[in-house]
Amino acid sequence: MAGVVHRKLRAIGATAVGAAAAARDLWLLYLGAIAGLVRGRRGGRPKGAFAAQLFAIGNQSLVFIAVTLGFIGLVMIYQACQQFNRVTGDLSQVGSQFLKLAVSDFAPTLTAMMLATRVGAGIAAEIGSMKVTEQIDALRMSGVLPVDYLITPRLMASIVMTIALSILGGAIMYVAGGLTAYYWFDVNPRIFFDLSAVTPVAVVLGLLKAASYGAAIPIVAGFAGLRARGSSEGVGKATTAAVIGGSFAVILLDFVISATSLVLVGPP
Amino acid sequence: MTSPPAFVEFRAVDKSFGGKPVLRAMTLAVTRGEAMFIIGASGAGKSVTIKHLIGLLTIDRGEIWFDGARVDGLPESAWPPIRRRIGMVFQNSTLFDSMTLAENVALPLRKHRGLRQAAAVREARERLAQVYLGDLADRFPAELSDGVRKRAAIARTLALDPDVVLFDEPTTGLDPQSARRVDRLIRDLVDQRGVTAIVVSHDLPSITGIADRVAFLYQGTVYAVGTPAELAAAGDPVLDQFLAGRSSGPMETPGF
Repeated sequence: MAGVVHRKLRAIGATAVGAAAAARDLWLLYLGAIAGLVRGRRGGRPKGAFAAQLFAIGNQSLVFIAVTLGFIGLVMIYQACQQFNRVTGDLSQVGSQFLKLAVSDFAPTLTAMMLATRVGAGIAAEIGSMKVTEQIDALRMSGVLPVDYLITPRLMASIVMTIALSILGGAIMYVAGGLTAYYWFDVNPRIFFDLSAVTPVAVVLGLLKAASYGAAIPIVAGFAGLRARGSSEGVGKATTAAVIGGSFAVILLDFVISATSLVLVGPP
Repeated sequence: MTSPPAFVEFRAVDKSFGGKPVLRAMTLAVTRGEAMFIIGASGAGKSVTIKHLIGLLTIDRGEIWFDGARVDGLPESAWPPIRRRIGMVFQNSTLFDSMTLAENVALPLRKHRGLRQAAAVREARERLAQVYLGDLADRFPAELSDGVRKRAAIARTLALDPDVVLFDEPTTGLDPQSARRVDRLIRDLVDQRGVTAIVVSHDLPSITGIADRVAFLYQGTVYAVGTPAELAAAGDPVLDQFLAGRSSGPMETPGF
């Protein structure tokens, strides 16, 4: 009996130590990628990599984000209007309150969740493939820092494009919601498209969240890719880990940033 | 007669992965200017051994020496000067798909020797021409055959004029003619440029054709070392089974 308990405790301890080591390595990867920004092209960041990643992360996600956030806006406003109709019948506040929520939370968080799947999976698969085919080792042998070559350009591009896509996605979501409210529930667009409820705190909160998510997605995905082992099975596992880890990071950051903001400056 | 001092030396090296020992007190000395082949069954730790020499893996215990200096345990920042002197040709060629052959060869020239892009590409073209790939310098790896990619990878490694070149199964996946061309290239490097070649291989024609000495890795350690003729004449049943490629015998093969 004591032996079984001892083995269980050892297993739990080993898992905890492994998780702590992974968290440390993730943090070191983040710091390394930031240091790569300072090192510039000396560390091995290829010319044109930032622009290429802006295109891969941003432009190639445009339709995906526009369509998904548009539909989410449509469904959310439809559901909200139905509920308001049942309770009060007053739909005058739906648009302004929806916009406030979209700016401070829905737009950056839903955009980032979408990007965590599309972009995170792509980054993990690409870096994971390079890892299992020894291309990462070949980079090191060529005098290139893999973090500077692979992670830093993606980090920069992801921050910029998550912010840009959050703004665009939020706008599409809002317009889709406005059209839904107008056609299904006869809400006057002048009443729906009311910006008065959006506070500066909500705007700053939304931008801060978008930037944080944008930083987290490539770091988590790159970390998963760099830990890929074996062959194609290892790349598959890395891709799955990137999507799960990226989505989890977005939710966790949403909670942490929202809670901190609430404590420090009150409701947005 | 005393043996020449070791240029590369592994002293009682231990390495485990996830608690599973791969190398156990592995000791091997390689002299300057020889072609040393490391042979052994799949999973015996051959590739692991050579990766320790360039800091791509770290040992658990033991010592690794290169040109009179101990190199195990160095921080990552200390490795670039060593990696400039020890090149490695990886098993999968590992050319970067987004770059042309010339850009692939130019990359270490830019990073290790600080050449500007134009000068590095110019020199890369010359290096590719030396392995008869001058007319393919602007092609991308995906457009080329395995043999061409392997030769381009060798050109990339040789671009820095290393003292030691590590070859990880250089003839795997190549047709016999391409394989013998790679063998010839390795032998020429040793004979004409004085390069020390450490070659991980399963390819018996390569071993008997171009190796100066062969180290047989078995159960995590160097089981036997000598010239190909010495190993063939040793009469050891384990060694004989491996060299003859027999599936049955005293040799324990992991996973079988």
